Amino acid sequence: MTGGETAPLTEAQSGLWYAQRLDPANPIFNTGQYIDLKGPLDLNAFQAAVDQVGEEAQALALRFTEGPGGASQQVDQSRRPSLAIIDLCAERDPQATALDAIQKDIARAVDPLADPLAGQALYRLADDHHIWAQRVHHLVNDGYGMVLLTNRVAELYGAACGARAAGRPFSSIEQLWAEDAAYVASAARTQDAAWWHHYLAGIDDVVGMAPGRALSARSFHRHERAMETETRAALLALAKEAGINWPDALTALVGAYCRRFTGTSELLIGVPHMGRFGSVSARVPAMVMNVLPIRVAPDEDGSIADYIAALSDTLTQARKHGRYRSEQLRRDLGLIGGAKRLYGPLVNVQPYDRPPRFHGLDATLHVTGTGPVEDINFTFRGDAVQGLTLEIDANPNLYTQEEVAAHGERLAIFLANAVRADTLSAVQTATPQEARRELEAYNATAHPVPDTSLAALIEHAMRAFPDRPAVSFGSETWDYAELDRRSRALAQELRERGVGAEAIVAVALPRSLELVVALVAILRAGGAYLPIDLDHPPARIATILAQAALMLILAQDDPAELYGDRLFSPSHWSQERGESLSPPSATDPAYVIFTSGSTGNPKGVVITHRAIVNRLLWMQSQYGIDSDDVILQKTPATFDVSVWEFFLPLISGARLVVAPPGAHRDPRAIAGLIRDYGVTALHFVPSMLALFLDAPDSAGMQVTRVFCSGEELSPDLRDHFHRRIRAQLHNLYGPTEAAVDVSYWPADAGDASRPVPIGHPVWNTRLLVLDDRLRPAPPGVVGRLFLGGVQLARGYLGREDLTAQRFVPDPFAPGERLYDTGDLAKRRSDGAILFLGRADDQVKIRGLRIELGEIEAAIVASGLTRAQAVIAREGRLIAYVTPSPDYGADKLRHFLTARLPDYMVPAALVELEALPVTANGKLDRKALPRPVLGERDGEGPATPTEQLIADLYAEILKLDVPPSRRADFFALGGDSLSAVHLTLRLSERIGRDPGLAALFEWPDVAGLAAHVDAMEDGGDAGTGPLITLRRASEEVMPPLFLIHPAGGLCWGYRTLAMALSPARTVFGLQSPALDPDAPPPASIDALAAAYARRISQARPHGPCHLAGWSVGGILAQAVAAELRAMGREVGLLALLDAYPAECWRDAPEPTQAQALRALLAIAGHDPDAYPHLATRAAVTAFLRAGDSPLGSLPARTLDGVVRTVLDTNRLVRGHHHRAFDGTLTHIRAANDHKDRPDLTADLWRAHAALVDGVAVPFLHSEMTGAAASALIAPILSQRMAACEAVPA
Amino acid sequence: MTRLTMNQLRAQIEEMLEEPVAIGEDDNLIDIGLDSMRAMNLAMRWEEAGVPLDFTDLAEAPTLRELWTMLEARQP
Repeated sequence: MTGGETAPLTEAQSGLWYAQRLDPANPIFNTGQYIDLKGPLDLNAFQAAVDQVGEEAQALALRFTEGPGGASQQVDQSRRPSLAIIDLCAERDPQATALDAIQKDIARAVDPLADPLAGQALYRLADDHHIWAQRVHHLVNDGYGMVLLTNRVAELYGAACGARAAGRPFSSIEQLWAEDAAYVASAARTQDAAWWHHYLAGIDDVVGMAPGRALSARSFHRHERAMETETRAALLALAKEAGINWPDALTALVGAYCRRFTGTSELLIGVPHMGRFGSVSARVPAMVMNVLPIRVAPDEDGSIADYIAALSDTLTQARKHGRYRSEQLRRDLGLIGGAKRLYGPLVNVQPYDRPPRFHGLDATLHVTGTGPVEDINFTFRGDAVQGLTLEIDANPNLYTQEEVAAHGERLAIFLANAVRADTLSAVQTATPQEARRELEAYNATAHPVPDTSLAALIEHAMRAFPDRPAVSFGSETWDYAELDRRSRALAQELRERGVGAEAIVAVALPRSLELVVALVAILRAGGAYLPIDLDHPPARIATILAQAALMLILAQDDPAELYGDRLFSPSHWSQERGESLSPPSATDPAYVIFTSGSTGNPKGVVITHRAIVNRLLWMQSQYGIDSDDVILQKTPATFDVSVWEFFLPLISGARLVVAPPGAHRDPRAIAGLIRDYGVTALHFVPSMLALFLDAPDSAGMQVTRVFCSGEELSPDLRDHFHRRIRAQLHNLYGPTEAAVDVSYWPADAGDASRPVPIGHPVWNTRLLVLDDRLRPAPPGVVGRLFLGGVQLARGYLGREDLTAQRFVPDPFAPGERLYDTGDLAKRRSDGAILFLGRADDQVKIRGLRIELGEIEAAIVASGLTRAQAVIAREGRLIAYVTPSPDYGADKLRHFLTARLPDYMVPAALVELEALPVTANGKLDRKALPRPVLGERDGEGPATPTEQLIADLYAEILKLDVPPSRRADFFALGGDSLSAVHLTLRLSERIGRDPGLAALFEWPDVAGLAAHVDAMEDGGDAGTGPLITLRRASEEVMPPLFLIHPAGGLCWGYRTLAMALSPARTVFGLQSPALDPDAPPPASIDALAAAYARRISQARPHGPCHLAGWSVGGILAQAVAAELRAMGREVGLLALLDAYPAECWRDAPEPTQAQALRALLAIAGHDPDAYPHLATRAAVTAFLRAGDSPLGSLPARTLDGVVRTVLDTNRLVRGHHHRAFDGTLTHIRAANDHKDRPDLTADLWRAHAALVDGVAVPFLHSEMTGAAASALIAPILSQRMAACEAVPA
Repeated sequence: MTRLTMNQLRAQIEEMLEEPVAIGEDDNLIDIGLDSMRAMNLAMRWEEAGVPLDFTDLAEAPTLRELWTMLEARQP
């Protein structure tokens, strides 16, 4: 029988309807309970009561249909849940059988379109023992509705037994529907919405107590416990004292507990709201319940009474507006989908949920299901006077059963303490048992380590393995005896110069054998070494040197004149001398490494022998390192990872392989080293590891162990690693302040951890996760990570103030210290520690530790800004500045580049009129605008290669706008790591590796494209005989051939080539003498003949244009004459400040030293700035240490360049010009030749039919620069066009 | 069972309100600050004292006059 009106779903029902329809097989939408009835049950009276309630409770008989207008509902009396009476008296265990049946029933999904939504049964276990079970779909009833049902049955049963009045029946559901419809259209709803929008303004992203998405699973974990009598009494007293009701007090305290697990200052809890007060629904079983999102941000130091009173006041207000649905609020606030949510845990206090009273029976209620459990629900049932039970239901996708039980235990203790405390801050989160575990069990790391020095350990290995290979660099390998001899000799010399305990010796050497000797010798002499990065700007190096009272600086030379007479260069070291030295003591400093300092200056961390010995012996033992191992050293010595790379092999008798300078960021070079030397252990910063895995060279590689540290190792990277490489992978963690690493985690192929933990402490080391009052945090709670034990640094060099700030007295071990890492961490329930980011402004970019304060201090020092803030965004540093009148972006960038290492110079400068601030006057980081990266201000890509490269720039640098063809990779925010990434992607696309050096040389889209095109023409490292400087989109105009100057390379013509029209291809002719295996050219004419042949190959027909600068001009004239002799047509012949050979005949030939200086000029350096670079070795070392592409040329090619400079100059002197029968265009550097006024265009009249002379206001050396090119390019273009206009 | 006068009932409710206010017989109690949690406390107090009114009565009929009518009918 169907009857009654048809109604659409109420707002309260709609969300559940869609959720169930989306997941039809999910039984979590069933709510249920059973009541254990002990005593003599009057079965007839009970049956009658249940039947009567079944008739009154129309919701239980609802039938749902789905039509084009949506779902609708109607009461269908035939669907009333009749009472099934099941007799289990004969069963062996009637109770277990009943509970099993109840569990099975609620675990069966209900299809609301087909099935009845409610069911009930009475299990007869014995004459005086029954269980009444109910199951109702959440669509048609809620928790309060269940209480109404239970109490109504109890009331009617009592009446049937003659014990009480029958009371009033339920009101009708139609009344409820009418009320609901009226509310939807009411002004009250609009006001409610306004209240909520105001209340929730400014909420942060809501997080829960556990990471992960809060989507209900199909089941839930349950933990149940009774609250202690004393706690209940104290709660009632506290509420009374605060003048509020106890359920609100309890809600507030549970909220405060939950907040401690989120790591945020505010948590939004969900408070279920029955929504029936003052409504017809007060007497209607139905789904009415709403969830109120309540902001919980207690002042932990304020009084608890004030806090709970304030929260109670909020709850009162919220309840007044409690009919406004939270589902609607989520839509209003855009919190739909993904991980977005409106509240975290639910806190549900149900004081009305008292044990039901059945006449003459002892009744106990058990709740079997309350609907979906999205996150974690804390439900309290009872009146607090007679009893109060805590029920925790949790989503099994977010919490384990153990974690749920731990919450139960911990919350009970927290509440017991909080109801008696004055402030929340006085209440510890961890239970006493958890605190003990944190302080003791997790940190039981005591292990005997000899009281010795690193120097003594190295000397021990030298004695034990004299003829084993100790260190390899390039083609050279020294055995331990050799290393012993050299380092002992230098150590002896250092001793003689006063080095001993507490003395600091700086080392400013590139990776080399000398570097290893220097480090070992300093340690053997008893001093501490201080590594200096040669790439850092002199101003920063000077700051560091000034902070350390240095006696000596071991360096090749003193380019910035910072060292003075403290310089002690390898060429002066003796190699053969000295007896044994007494080793240093364990408490002496072994090294000092500077890290970024938040106040503006880098700070030096002083590490003792005892600390680093513990770290190295732990690693040797943990990973079984022995004399068969081969360990790669590729980390710059200024980062402390290098410490184990250098010394772990040297204390183990293993082989130390020193990577060439620059190789650490070149995946191919690293792969080559691993294969060539059979490396068994090496280190990667995870971001570099990711690139290494992407490089073709790493495929199928086999290593014994790979160590990661420096930044987070992501689970995806771990998994990718194991798919690609056969090796152990270990995740290490530690700050420089605690001797490299203090914790370890085997991230092996079977590790499924997400995130990957930083793991457990190393020997004699404690890792403590403490709250902001230095109390142990329980598992799962975010705290600050503190370190204790023997590896702690002595402190910051000369900065007792900073040392005292970060190295604090250990509250748990009198006399000991703890280092405050500033890292946020939490413990997993197995004790492994997870790293969760920073508590301050320190950031890591590519594993490099950077204090934003140091960059801000540098900006302040520029005086160019009024206010400034630096943030890290998507792995890049962005500086926001409010300009002062003198401000200029270039000025500021220049200032910063001179003071900060390149990785600390912001990738983007954003000018703002004022920095945004929050209500309390602090910088509002969230309001800082995202810079538009890659602003397009020039012409777009002109060739397919340019387009490809522009696309790759945009992809790798995550640019918002595609870059122009002039856009510079590094100016757009690229760094050396993204540069490696780019070259990898580019080689994927074009099938060959352009090399990292190419990008540094041609960082703009067009330039790199030209280089890539040139590669297609066979120029491998850009040293081939013919390179394409610029490839035209289509071949319409005759090409221009530019001929190399003295160095043989055409790289310097790139700017000029780019300044010419993109419609013309520009080639560069380079000297064959760059190949050291090629025979030296016999004469300029011989070269010219070779070049003419090459031009004919590249351009068999039609006219071609020629130009050259300096010696290149002499060559161009000779090539033009040769081409004419071959019968070819020459269009433009342009000589950029070149003068005939006879002008030089009497000048002395350049010396080798001058040739080397020319090389510096070719590399883009001002030779006059480096007068000390006088030897070939010094120049090549200098070039190799820098980012110059010349420095990355193979040594043989570099030799070729030097040879070419010398050869060409010699050949010029022996050259005699042949006449060219066309027009020679001469472009004179008018600002030069003050001492040779005879050098003019007229000199060429003897060698050309016509001379067309032009002068430009530049020096000779500036002729191929950007400014001159801007002037010269149109001169050339105009003349080329003129030649082409007249058909031959 | 305790017999309650209308003034006693009024005084009890007034005591529970957010802010002290004199209750008129037809004032909607919700409008003058009686919310579900306060009503719950009131209902529990009644139950302890044997007053034959419960939370549902309060929730359904939130005026003093309606409550008094129900109480009158139930008091012996």
